[in-house]
Amino acid sequence: MQASGAIVAEDLVKVYGGKVTAVDGVSFEVPHGQIFGFLGPNGAGKTTTVSMLSAGLRPTGGRAVIDGLEVSQNAEAVKRRIGVIFQESTADGDLTGRENLEVASGTYGISRSEGHFRAKTLIEEMHLSDAADRYAKTYSGGMRRRLELAVGLVHRPKILFLDEPTLGLDPQGRAGFWGFVQKLRAETGMTVFVTTHYLDEADTMCDRIAIIDHGKIVARGTPNELKDKLGGDVVTVKTAAGASDMSEVIRPLAGVSAVQRQGDSYRVKCTSGETLVPLAVEACYRAGAGVTGVTVKRPSLDEVFLEFTGREFREEEGPTATDKAVMMQRVRGALQGRR
Amino acid sequence: MLRELSALTRREFLKLARNPQAIFTSLLLPLLYLLLFGQGFNVKPPPDLLQYYFRGAPNYYSYFAAGMVGFVSVTSTLFIGANVIFDKLFGIFKRTRGTPAPSAAVFGSRLIAGAAQPILLAFFVLGLAILFSHVPGLTGLDVTASVGVVGAVEVLLAIVLLALMFATVFLTIGILLDVPQVYFAVVNLINLPVLLTSDALYPWGSMPPWLQTTSQFNPISLAVNVLREVFFGSGTYPYAPGVYLAGLLAWTVVLVGIAIVLVRRALRPLD
Repeated sequence: MQASGAIVAEDLVKVYGGKVTAVDGVSFEVPHGQIFGFLGPNGAGKTTTVSMLSAGLRPTGGRAVIDGLEVSQNAEAVKRRIGVIFQESTADGDLTGRENLEVASGTYGISRSEGHFRAKTLIEEMHLSDAADRYAKTYSGGMRRRLELAVGLVHRPKILFLDEPTLGLDPQGRAGFWGFVQKLRAETGMTVFVTTHYLDEADTMCDRIAIIDHGKIVARGTPNELKDKLGGDVVTVKTAAGASDMSEVIRPLAGVSAVQRQGDSYRVKCTSGETLVPLAVEACYRAGAGVTGVTVKRPSLDEVFLEFTGREFREEEGPTATDKAVMMQRVRGALQGRR
Repeated sequence: MLRELSALTRREFLKLARNPQAIFTSLLLPLLYLLLFGQGFNVKPPPDLLQYYFRGAPNYYSYFAAGMVGFVSVTSTLFIGANVIFDKLFGIFKRTRGTPAPSAAVFGSRLIAGAAQPILLAFFVLGLAILFSHVPGLTGLDVTASVGVVGAVEVLLAIVLLALMFATVFLTIGILLDVPQVYFAVVNLINLPVLLTSDALYPWGSMPPWLQTTSQFNPISLAVNVLREVFFGSGTYPYAPGVYLAGLLAWTVVLVGIAIVLVRRALRPLD
């Protein structure tokens, strides 16, 4: 692969302790100026991939290239070119928003006066002026996320990594955060690599998407390309309890590309849901099975996710990343209250 | 490097200043020791053994007050490593490591802030103990020798070296470990034996010969010997303060050297 993109992953592998393979031969390229979404269930390898790309973790195999620089040989130079917004909240609660930004600028070797200027500018851009001199621990979730975005931008990176950036935010906070990211991309041409649990965000914000499962990329493309791969709409037909199998009754109907039986329900992929519904209801009725419910779904990334990972995006075992984030926020609050 | 060090050190001092409760309790502990333990445990040996018992100090309190400097050097640096572990748990350490700031700046900033506390506390302890000697009804630190500029510099060096040494040790342990409970278990395994094998608190004359001998290699004893010799005269000491300072410097250099190797390995990029 020619390493000309902003972010290039070539056959990246990460094995922990010689046993657990978290990332298993991941390859992709993100052109400059794009917003690239990296989706996958918990434990799929998203954060490990971000860590390898952002010079936080040494790959077991393969290579990562950022803005033309091989990460494993140029960790420091790569860190100067990228900004990383981590999954967990990393703002220093005992420092004000302004102090957080000034300290962050100092860690990139930026002079005190320049750091002060950049902090002031970013505070205004992120609409944090009123809270700039308040301790970050008093910020709301949305304000804290905006502060962390500002911290990630203080050294003016060319590439921004966002690892679950809107976790735990309300819809207004999520919309606000993405508004800032889009404005940033439009003004600076910055490349953005984002992992997210919110498929609607990925659908509307990302130019291209890759889905990772069990450490491997299982699908990639633009949101529309991925949805087109599903073959159109998905109609769910629910028959009366105990009715005989209607799969072979539905399958020959016009426009049907696949039928999946799940108990008394049939998940039918078709070119047009609206055309299929009356045909399917009538066919089932004639075959002796009463239809008790029908739903038509336009293809969404949820469907794409289900198709390629075999799992509903939210049907995951154990606490989700959101649960963990909320839990950590509570622990942090309790500890800060005591310290 | 200097800008990164300066920014991170500023952060450490800001965090310290934002927790007045922590400052208050760190002052309260030595105050209580000086006020209760020192006054209550005022051992009085036979007059002819006084010099031997307290290595030239006029009373136990004066002997103990110098030892308290060693005591606070350990107790006030204990939490330095714990703060690193909490910063790891909250992702703050990860964010710092995500920047190009060199590991020397990450370590150095915490070391400067961490060592500043025991240094300031040492002067608080000495000042308070001297003040007590002027309060009717209380015993205090009676400096019986003429200190002079050289003596003052020797005391300052002993306090700074001891603070740097313990701050380095506990900071390194905090960087190497990830679990607070494990950290405190390891730290307790270090601080108690180090304190209890020194002559910081025991009257010298009451220590068994084997402990008198081994304690002379203990870094706390080395620092406290410098203070006592400067404050009470060289009569009972076989060596000049400079010799004890050299021993303390050797401890500091060896431990800092080990810390550099371990910390560089733990904080190397891409791990």
